[in-house]
Amino acid sequence: MNNNSNKMFFLFILFFSTLISISSNSWFGCWIGLEINLLSFIPLISNSKNLLSVETSLKYFLTQSLASINFLFMILIKFSLLKNFNMNNIISIMMNSSLLMKMGSAPFHFWFPNIVEGLSWMNNFMLMTWQKISPMILLSYYFNKNFLIFMIITNLIIGSLGGLNQTSLRKLLAFSSINNLGWMIFSIMISENLWLFYFLIYSMMISMMISLFFLMNMYFMNQLFINNMNFFIKLNLLINFLSLGGLPPFMGFMPKWIIINFLLINKFYFLTFIFMMTSLIIIYYYIRIIYSSFMFNYFKMKWVNLLMKNNMSLINLSSFISISSMILSTFIFM
Amino acid sequence: MCFNSFFFLFFFMLINFFFFVYFIMNGLSVFFEWEIISFNSMSIVMSILLDWMSLLFMMFVSLISSVVIFYSKSYMNSELNLNRFIILVLMFVFSMVLLIISPNLISILLGWDGLGLISYCLVIYYQNLKSYNAGMLTALSNRIGDVMILMVICWVMNYGSWNYIFYFDFMKNDYVMFIISFMIIIAAMTKSAQIPFSSWLPAAMAAPTPVSALVHSSTLVTAGVYLLIRFNYLLIDMFFFKVLLFLSILTMFMSGISANYEFDLKKIIALSTLSQLGLMMSILSLGFPDIAFFHLLTHAMFKALLFMCAGVIIHMMNDIQDIRYMGGLSLYIPLTSLCLNISNLSLCGIPFLSGFYSKDLILEMVSFNSFNLMVFILFYLSTGLTVFYTFRLIMYVMINDFNLMMIYNLYDEDYIMLNSMFVLLFMSLLSGSFLSWFIFSYPYMIYLPFNLKLMVIYVSILGSILGFMVSNMGIYSLNKLLLSYNLSSFLCLMWFMPNLSTYGLSYIYLNFSQILFKNIDMGWSEIYSGKGIFNILKNYSVFYNIYQMNNFKIYLFSFILWFMILFIFFFI
Repeated sequence: MNNNSNKMFFLFILFFSTLISISSNSWFGCWIGLEINLLSFIPLISNSKNLLSVETSLKYFLTQSLASINFLFMILIKFSLLKNFNMNNIISIMMNSSLLMKMGSAPFHFWFPNIVEGLSWMNNFMLMTWQKISPMILLSYYFNKNFLIFMIITNLIIGSLGGLNQTSLRKLLAFSSINNLGWMIFSIMISENLWLFYFLIYSMMISMMISLFFLMNMYFMNQLFINNMNFFIKLNLLINFLSLGGLPPFMGFMPKWIIINFLLINKFYFLTFIFMMTSLIIIYYYIRIIYSSFMFNYFKMKWVNLLMKNNMSLINLSSFISISSMILSTFIFM
Repeated sequence: MCFNSFFFLFFFMLINFFFFVYFIMNGLSVFFEWEIISFNSMSIVMSILLDWMSLLFMMFVSLISSVVIFYSKSYMNSELNLNRFIILVLMFVFSMVLLIISPNLISILLGWDGLGLISYCLVIYYQNLKSYNAGMLTALSNRIGDVMILMVICWVMNYGSWNYIFYFDFMKNDYVMFIISFMIIIAAMTKSAQIPFSSWLPAAMAAPTPVSALVHSSTLVTAGVYLLIRFNYLLIDMFFFKVLLFLSILTMFMSGISANYEFDLKKIIALSTLSQLGLMMSILSLGFPDIAFFHLLTHAMFKALLFMCAGVIIHMMNDIQDIRYMGGLSLYIPLTSLCLNISNLSLCGIPFLSGFYSKDLILEMVSFNSFNLMVFILFYLSTGLTVFYTFRLIMYVMINDFNLMMIYNLYDEDYIMLNSMFVLLFMSLLSGSFLSWFIFSYPYMIYLPFNLKLMVIYVSILGSILGFMVSNMGIYSLNKLLLSYNLSSFLCLMWFMPNLSTYGLSYIYLNFSQILFKNIDMGWSEIYSGKGIFNILKNYSVFYNIYQMNNFKIYLFSFILWFMILFIFFFI
């Protein structure tokens, strides 16, 4: 039942639905796009042979449809009751809340780690990157600045604190995704171009990590301590994690640097402090994952061996991209 | 390697000699200057000043170092890494030459720091605990001088360039020059081991004997004196010069007394070096830089010779340095004891050896000009003490009975060492008169009453009689040192001043830092920034997890609740 042509079909509709949502003239079109998004994602993740993924797809359906209903309701109220375009009112708070729930952002994020735990790596990749595009762009059309700043702070704190106690790699990446959502929402408030830049780099980093985990078929932290892990795989893991955390010579530092620049120019000092401190906590738990694999004498499980597949040769390329992208990404601004 | 460097340095010495004679006969001096960087108003230049003083000093340094390298071919022949040693010595000579020829504070700093660091490497050459401690003491005491010179460089930036020789005539009453002169004096005092910093010189005798001959007799310790000679026009009216006079006279006196209580051969020679350094510094601070330079050079000759003889004796005594085991060596090693005697007598100032010319001139200048009573007494007393410990040493080493073993073979035919000593012997005999004819274009006018003129001979004879009497030890002699134990230990241990540099500096601060480390680094700082924050974050994370692990309906219902609240607010 789950053959590739089904997946291709639904994937195509998924991409198309996002395009509908972001390029529509009226709010109604946005809502239509969101609904089609939901409906085409569900078949991608549900696999009737696996009880966990059925439950996951059900949870996903419930939360997203609740959020879409609310979104529709708020759109209609806005059209009927409010004739102005002022963005700082309660309707915008309500619209933003429903969009935040769609994305899996902070006060409404409780479904996100649960669902991520039940999906495979490729589905996770779609969930963490593609599914965030249309809610974010819709967010940028009509947002309430004060509410969003509060949500950003909540995002950052929950993303950093929640991940400290995790051992499952999927949940770890989920919490880091929540943290990066905080950065991305702020970049929406600066300029949409910057959001695009951040989002592209973030999805590139996530794709490299997820492809690495997918190839090694790793879902939990104790699977990282393998006896014969190749040095380049470990190096790639190190570089990607540090890049995700935003450490300077790597790719992930660049968008964070620009956002910090904007923050400081516009005198958001307290917010800068929160951004920095939560980044530190995030980097702490990334390093906690990888440092034991980088010492000379680390904890290895002798009875587990990694079979090198043929498609692992791209790992070197991805490491190279992560390291040199700081320079290469300045070409974007030429 | 040894022969190559010996020939190179000897040839260098001959070149220097030739140029020295030419320059001093024609009154020339040459100044090279290369500008390296010039930015805003400062210009860093590399300058070389070749006048008769620097050429003469370079000639002496290269002579002594060539002879020492030749000597160490035989002295250090059981050393595996002899090349390393020779390279260190050559680097030392290079730093010294850089110090001598530079009229510029930056290149003086290069030479000065180089001297300090390389002397550290040479002192710790034998890698044992005593050498390590001695090297640490040497390096850190010299480091104080380095810091002083660095600060002088900072202060001289006020004047626009680091060529200090151009500023002396114009800036004498400036506040900046006051500070600079203070720091220069302290730097020279650390290098030349005057009183607060005098503990490193006896300790540095843990170095190999060729190193002591080169470094601690003639070159390193005279670098401070040389710096003050160069700066003399600046310093001559300053107050700190009088302080320097006081401290250097005390150094001379103290080391003279301490050398009488010592029983280690190299330490006695080190303390005599210290005494002569005090003499040089004091005559410099009385206002006679050329006499100080003269004594510096002659002292270099006979002190290097003395260290080399000591090296031969130590080799012969199966590496024992204690003079109580030696005795009667003059009968068995005539050539070495010839060199030893001549250098010792030259040290005492016996007429017409080389030391006589400089020492006697110094004492006559002190008597002729009117200085105060303490200066006068301490000068003559120190001269008497010099003769005292010299004669004591001669009695112990050469005249009394042999104390090591019943049957022993004393071997004097190591001609490599002997040839090198003969070169210095020749210079030690003749350099006094030779230098006095060159350096002083006209002699000093000295007119003294008869007894005052002979005062030198009186104290010398008194010192020699005392030295003879003290060293008449037999089996039943009463050890008066033990009877006056407190006084003896005070006088022997250099008036307890080494504790200033060693025990006094380390104990209190280490204690205090242990308290700080335990309380702050491993104590409160862990709660406030290390594990404490981690525990707080961990607790927050656990607390968050309680919210995360919930029923799914609760999530949905919380969302609905939020919207209901917003709705109510909207419709109010």
